[in-house]
Amino acid sequence: MKSINLKENQFIQFHQKISFKFDGVKYFGYKGDTIASALLRNNINLVGRSFKYHRPRGIYTCGIEEPNALVQIISEYSEPNTRATIKKIYEGMEIESQNRWPSLENDFGSINNLFSPIFTAGFYYKTFMGPHKKFWKNLYEPLIRRAAGLGKPPKDFKGISNHIHHNVDVTIIGGGLNGLLAAKSFINSNYDVLLIDFEEQLGGIINNSNKISLIDNKEPKDWLKETIQEIEGSKNIKILKNTLVTTYNYINHLIAIEDRFVGSKPIEGKVNSTLHKIRTGHTILCNGHIERFLSFQNNDLPGIMLSSSFEKYMCRYGLAPSKEPVIFSNNSNSNSLVYSLIKAGLKPKAYIDSRSGEEIEPNLFELIRKNDVPLYTNSQIKGAFGNKKIEKILVEDSSGALNEIKCDCLCLSGGINPDVHLFTQSKGLLDWDEKDLTYKPSKPFQPTITLGSASGQFNFDNLNSDINEKFKTFKVKKLDVKLELNTNTKYNIEKLWEVSPQKKSLWAKSFIDLQNDVTTKDIRQAITEGFDRIEHLKRYTTNSMGTDQGKISSINALGIVSDLLDKKVNEVGTTIYRPPYAPLSFSAIAGRNCYEFYDPERKSPIHSWHLKNGAIFEDVGQWKRPWYFQINKDESMHDAVQRESKNVRENAGILDGSTLGKIEIKGEDALEFMNLIYTNSFTKMKQGSARYALMLGEDGMVKDDGIICKISDQHFIATTTTGGAATVLGCMEEYAQTEWPNLKVFMNSITEQYATFNISGPKTREIMKKAFPNINFSNEWFPFMTFQFHEFNGVPIRILRASFTGELGYEIYIPSNSAPKIWDNIQSVGKEFGLAPYGTEAMHLLRAEKGYIIVGQDTDGSITPIDLGLSWMIGKSKKDFLGKRSLTRSDTIREDRKQLVGIIPSNKADKLEEGQHIILDKEIKSPVPMLGHITSCYYSSTLGHDFALAVIKNGHSMIGTKAYASTSSMSTTGVDIVKPVFYDEDNKRLIS
Amino acid sequence: MLIINCPYCGPRDQSEFSNGGEAHVKRPDGSKEIGDREWGEYVFIRANPKGLFYERWVHTHGCRKWFNCVRDTSTDEILVTYKLDEKKPNLNNFKSVVKTPSGEPEVGSGNFTVEK
Ligand SMILES: [Zn+2]
Repeated sequence: MKSINLKENQFIQFHQKISFKFDGVKYFGYKGDTIASALLRNNINLVGRSFKYHRPRGIYTCGIEEPNALVQIISEYSEPNTRATIKKIYEGMEIESQNRWPSLENDFGSINNLFSPIFTAGFYYKTFMGPHKKFWKNLYEPLIRRAAGLGKPPKDFKGISNHIHHNVDVTIIGGGLNGLLAAKSFINSNYDVLLIDFEEQLGGIINNSNKISLIDNKEPKDWLKETIQEIEGSKNIKILKNTLVTTYNYINHLIAIEDRFVGSKPIEGKVNSTLHKIRTGHTILCNGHIERFLSFQNNDLPGIMLSSSFEKYMCRYGLAPSKEPVIFSNNSNSNSLVYSLIKAGLKPKAYIDSRSGEEIEPNLFELIRKNDVPLYTNSQIKGAFGNKKIEKILVEDSSGALNEIKCDCLCLSGGINPDVHLFTQSKGLLDWDEKDLTYKPSKPFQPTITLGSASGQFNFDNLNSDINEKFKTFKVKKLDVKLELNTNTKYNIEKLWEVSPQKKSLWAKSFIDLQNDVTTKDIRQAITEGFDRIEHLKRYTTNSMGTDQGKISSINALGIVSDLLDKKVNEVGTTIYRPPYAPLSFSAIAGRNCYEFYDPERKSPIHSWHLKNGAIFEDVGQWKRPWYFQINKDESMHDAVQRESKNVRENAGILDGSTLGKIEIKGEDALEFMNLIYTNSFTKMKQGSARYALMLGEDGMVKDDGIICKISDQHFIATTTTGGAATVLGCMEEYAQTEWPNLKVFMNSITEQYATFNISGPKTREIMKKAFPNINFSNEWFPFMTFQFHEFNGVPIRILRASFTGELGYEIYIPSNSAPKIWDNIQSVGKEFGLAPYGTEAMHLLRAEKGYIIVGQDTDGSITPIDLGLSWMIGKSKKDFLGKRSLTRSDTIREDRKQLVGIIPSNKADKLEEGQHIILDKEIKSPVPMLGHITSCYYSSTLGHDFALAVIKNGHSMIGTKAYASTSSMSTTGVDIVKPVFYDEDNKRLIS
Repeated sequence: MLIINCPYCGPRDQSEFSNGGEAHVKRPDGSKEIGDREWGEYVFIRANPKGLFYERWVHTHGCRKWFNCVRDTSTDEILVTYKLDEKKPNLNNFKSVVKTPSGEPEVGSGNFTVEK
């Protein structure tokens, strides 16, 4: 195919040369070129190999509908499957063709074309499911993995996208003639309007074809310039260019992607694309139409292209891909290509129309005759032939004779379809138009308006009246635009979907889906095999399942199927067009919610100290908590945890408990509210005392626990688990607003306002005395489960005597800003007493030795306080609290519920494993009745052996008996079921 | 994918809100004796109609207020929002436009059926 540059073109800067590389070879294009137009300028039309058969493929279209010309952009993180017909070139761009090895010209995979008779419809299903499953694993899969496919996934992707939200009254999609007229109507009105166009220049058909000669007696170019200026000058209209609407959801929610680097290389670290999330009152679809192709033998050869695309290359890119293309059409849409060619001083090599001479438009007839273009009416192309490019075609003329025409380019037009993708995504209904042979929008499901060819109006006669009628609901001025056309014709089409080949052959291919290599024969075969429902047929053949969603071919497939089934197309129906309209990269969807912004990290005020002191962190919700502290690089986790826990039992340890949830509850009715939220009764509790409390769901199951400090009947501070803080606050707010709005109570999170240090161990009192010399820590003055407010060096602090380790312990609450200083002070005064920090793992071990549960580890939302043996925490005299009634439901009072018990190996040297089952038999013989499972399990150096907590059926009454624990090596370990307390059962250490 | 009109803050993006299930379900008074069945229904049973539905929402990332609304579950459209202490609107005031989006069969989902 030999192309020529046309003279002057307003969109291409012929004086600005741009160099780029395609498959390693340097070429030149001009500023404004797409990859496709630049390649065509260099007479390159072989740009890729097809998906299955590795057939040579060229550039088929000039836009978003492109099925073939997909390339890998090496200079942009190796972005695959980029449509060459859209992507603009820039200086230094590197492009590679896809799905070929070792090279595009000599592709090894093209051997698939020889095997093609086995890659027929349903190939995947048959090899997966059929009797030849072995072939799949040993032959097909390795073969297909290497051979089939499109581009290679990018390796190191770092593209950045951001999201912008819009909330407007009207969104106009498409800035072509109708989109501009719609926008013009809204100029300076009271509506917030968004006008979105996919291209860099507004104008659509005005820029892409020579169909229109005058608008309001002006050159279309001039009218366009004026109109755009007017629209840009209107304050209520915002224009988004280079923006493709990909998705039309419920409630007029649109998603559009904007390319921020059109015609230049994306700058690393800058936002490459913007995802627009648009909520709009009305959506006006002016997104035009798409031309479809025709099926005949070898209709995929490079050099074949859609006729309107050829015209677009001429008008939009100043480039005729060929000097003398052959045109093959069954409709009037290709008239303007003939006009454009002749206007440019070129001439079609032949014009072939399946329609009869009487049906062909008189203007076209005259144009063809005047310019001596060979005309074939009532004729069809039987096939195209050539080596990696079109060299000749075979035409069957009206007499049935075959004519061979040599050519380097063939332009096809099989008719046009309104671009209904977005309309159907919005759940609008389509109707088949028997005259225009296409699906057209009929009933919208949402406030959607379609205009122009997007609504199926392929003529311009009703331009004004249509817009005025559809805009009646808006308060806008009426339109009166005068249009004159170059090819003054009404849309006319004759039914033609496929031309059967001259000779029957297993290897003859007439494609219906170029991207997925589906042939019309596959469609026939699928129907013969019973897949005659259109949705089944689509999946069985993979027709229209490529990245282009069969934009130029899916209607043709429906036509062929309806003919085969002898049904109307309306009865065959259409497959659902699903979002996105065109591929959308994951990076665009992720926006800034990735890498360090994927999930926020929360850090305690002491975090930097932890970092300096060998902390290994674990994630608890969003929090980073020290898991254990490594005193040197060789210390294993097990050693560190045993060292830390032993130190707490013998000396003293300090834990950063700042992540614990803290909620302050205040108000006249705070006491009554707390009594309703928690199981415990706080009425008789003294001011200044604290209590371990449980919160249930309405189903009676334990949802959270914590310590409640009563400052007064009107003022409480509650702690929650680290992970449960937001839920507990949410639950309190919900009940305060929805169930007990009469209670005067307010609550707020103070989690981040206060740091918490948990110090515990036998030497804690000594350390506290030294750290806070003015405070009396004696047992009489500061008993267990009380708290006091103090001031330390001008900092207000609260100290609570409580423990989660079973040792004497204090919790210190300090405003976050002052916390690091006080932490450092405690570290230095504690040194002589052997004070050392400990992490969450040692904390878990210590609390388990004491039999304290962790909500969410030892409970799972199906455990009641009674199951845990915590009946003493239930304020039975209280009239009501969350979940109270559920505790007496028949299911919650069952005796064989899973209950919390302790487990120790009968042979102390044996190991236990978390998550393993407790069973009754030594032998594992299925079915194995499972009693329950181990919820927490540790080795304790204090006890000298493994121990565990478990929830097992009827557990409380099994205490004192023997059972077995399963192991990960499918054996069992004999265990003793014991009370869930392993250390200091009388709480002597706690209260002394 | 909705705009929700918070009765306290005005129209805001759906992502700021959380759904709280069926509205106007009264919590039984804890001081009165009630049977397992009645309590169980309060705890576990909620309506799940296709069409108009009274629903609770909370403006989680906003004013944190709970409020009620009428939502058409077949289209996701929120027809009205109102404060907790306001009277619930009569459902007859709204028309549930589409029982079956896009011509689906009334029961189940899927595409146009093709007659054999
Ligand atoms: Zn609000």
